[in-house]
Amino acid sequence: MQTLYAFAKQHSYVFAVVCVLIATLLFYPGRDDFAKGQWALLYLLIVGLVAGLSGVRPALLAAAMAFLLWNFFFLPPYNTFVVHDPKDWLSLIVFLAVAAAMGMQTGRMREREAEALARGREMAMLNQFSARLVSDASISDIAELLMNEVTQITGARCAALFLADQENKLYELTSVAEGNCHLEPSVARIAEWAYAQSKAVGLPQIEKRSDPAAAGWPISVDYAQADAEDGRNDLFIPLQTADRQEGILYVGPRTDGEPYSVNDARPLVAAANQTAAFLERKRLQSASVQADALREADRLKSTLMSSVSHELKTPIASIAATVSNLAEQDVEWDSERVRPELASVQEDLDRLASSINALLDLSRLESAAWEPKKEWFDLADVLWTALSKIPQKQKSRVEVSLPDSLPMVYVDFVQMARAVENLLANALAYCPQAAPVRMGASVDEESFRIWIEDEGPGIRPDEREKIFEKFYRGESSSRSASGTGLGLAVTREIVRFHGGRVWVEDVVPHGARFVISLPLEEGPESR
Amino acid sequence: MSAPEKKPRILAVDDEEQIRRALKSILTARKYDVVLATNGDEAIDLAIDNPPDLVILDMAMPGLTGTEVCRELRNWYEGPILMLSVISSDAEKVAALDIGADDYLTKPFSTSELLARIRALLRRSAARVTPLPVIQAGDLEIDIAKRIVRRSGEEIELTRMEFDILAYLAQNADCVVTSKMILEKVWGPEYAEDAQTLRVHISHLRKKIEPQPSSPRYILTETGVGFRFAAS
Repeated sequence: MQTLYAFAKQHSYVFAVVCVLIATLLFYPGRDDFAKGQWALLYLLIVGLVAGLSGVRPALLAAAMAFLLWNFFFLPPYNTFVVHDPKDWLSLIVFLAVAAAMGMQTGRMREREAEALARGREMAMLNQFSARLVSDASISDIAELLMNEVTQITGARCAALFLADQENKLYELTSVAEGNCHLEPSVARIAEWAYAQSKAVGLPQIEKRSDPAAAGWPISVDYAQADAEDGRNDLFIPLQTADRQEGILYVGPRTDGEPYSVNDARPLVAAANQTAAFLERKRLQSASVQADALREADRLKSTLMSSVSHELKTPIASIAATVSNLAEQDVEWDSERVRPELASVQEDLDRLASSINALLDLSRLESAAWEPKKEWFDLADVLWTALSKIPQKQKSRVEVSLPDSLPMVYVDFVQMARAVENLLANALAYCPQAAPVRMGASVDEESFRIWIEDEGPGIRPDEREKIFEKFYRGESSSRSASGTGLGLAVTREIVRFHGGRVWVEDVVPHGARFVISLPLEEGPESR
Repeated sequence: MSAPEKKPRILAVDDEEQIRRALKSILTARKYDVVLATNGDEAIDLAIDNPPDLVILDMAMPGLTGTEVCRELRNWYEGPILMLSVISSDAEKVAALDIGADDYLTKPFSTSELLARIRALLRRSAARVTPLPVIQAGDLEIDIAKRIVRRSGEEIELTRMEFDILAYLAQNADCVVTSKMILEKVWGPEYAEDAQTLRVHISHLRKKIEPQPSSPRYILTETGVGFRFAAS
């Protein structure tokens, strides 16, 4: 039944002829059993069948054939087109008129029904497609879906989606090509032409301005204008939004080789327009993401400006005040009074130097200009060196507890000492005056750990990640301490360069423990 | 300058230890009595316990900012307040002055700048108690009571507005005054935003009193903030 229906649709005229001929063959043996007029009714049945299955024109053909064959075989004198009885002439004319009218009516109904069905299917597909478009699908998902829809709607064996990149150059995002259909090189060339001209190629024009699809219908040219051979029967549909072209949808020729009709193209144009809107939305979205990133960079820059200017200007202000104080002539300065002033200047200079170092470290690390130069070093040596960088005044607060033997470690000595020094300075700055800070190390099979422990207020759980960010200074503990807010960020970068991890944990009853964990690496020479 | 007879007490507030140290060193060497506070709360407590003759207040402090402390103090404290700022914008300075600070100094500052501001502020606060009827500044003599201005003994004719502006600036000699303060004083509070009008009057005033109006010697512009009358 299915094949008969398909045959009636695809080879409609052959079907009409065959139906009438078979009917004639079946009727012929019994032509004397019924009255001549009754055959006409049976022929009408056949015309009706053809009209229902194949449409108006095949039905008219069937009607004309039935008219002739009825006359020839069933109206006396038989086997001639001669008609003796004038009443038969009347029957013949009435038959022709009725058959034609019935064929036309039934055929039209069938065609409308078929069209409605097709539209319904297309609508369902488009609806499904639109639903996916408004979901958070990726461009490649949508491209794949579009290819699927296009080949299903049209039956075309190949299709492709070309998109424009940022320099407005067209590239093929995705394509399907099945069976004997393949994307010829000319496809990309014509697609580029269509993109450059913002026109469709091969697309039938909508006749009526009043057609609701007319507004979104692209201007189309024939193949010759796009410098392509005629009779290709494929479609190049621009993906257009109000102010931009996003790309080209290519649809290969129909399997039956017929050109696409306006109705065939309707869902394709609709899908192309929807895809264009989707692509535009995606593009705007990514533009807004970029704008967010820029804003964040801007915010960071202004934090940098205020943090750096505060950190650099404060010691300079203190130096300026102290030095200008000494330079004033209105007060007698003996050496006893000058010495503490100079010591204070020295302290400010140290602070300036360490701020500048932190800034330089971070910018070198971030631009990857400070590659670690790893060599074998004694871990204890690294820790003692870090401690030696701490200002004399605070050094006595640090208690060091190391196991008897520490392994050689494969690290960049300067970087690792800086990483530890920053943790020490941080602990000393953020915990109460005179409270001890402990530094230690431990080793197991695969890694070694360096830890620094203080008795300060500790770090709130929600701050434990943030404190390693640039310029972040702990809310709970920033009241007394000063700093660029870069030390921990530098430490994290250094540790990361060494393939390790740094984190902070709680100490009971109160305080924070910063831990650096690094893999015990196999170096080029044995340990 | 010789130290005053009675040691003025100065409360210096800064979260930076080094700045506090420098302030203390500078001020004690000039025979001022110095009290230090490391944050806003401490400053307010100290000021309540024993009101100082002058407060030096850092603008950018964690916790209570200098501006907030200034607002608190102004509820009851009438002595001069000098703000210190390291990165604050003109807008912040204006805001601090508008809520009652008397002057500001940008870090880094020199000892002589700091001392000059302190002297000016202390002088003005003394003058508040007994306003001067005649103000001398260089070759300029401003007779507030008789509303007469003389330069090198020669009378200069000023409009009523111009005289009021000049008198107000001179009464606050060597201290910054914001445009808003002048406008409110001379025109009334409803004119506080009309900085353009003020600039026109200042321009006329300069033409009349300045030896060289293009590079003023008396009425100095504090960019983005207001004006300062240079008495010395």
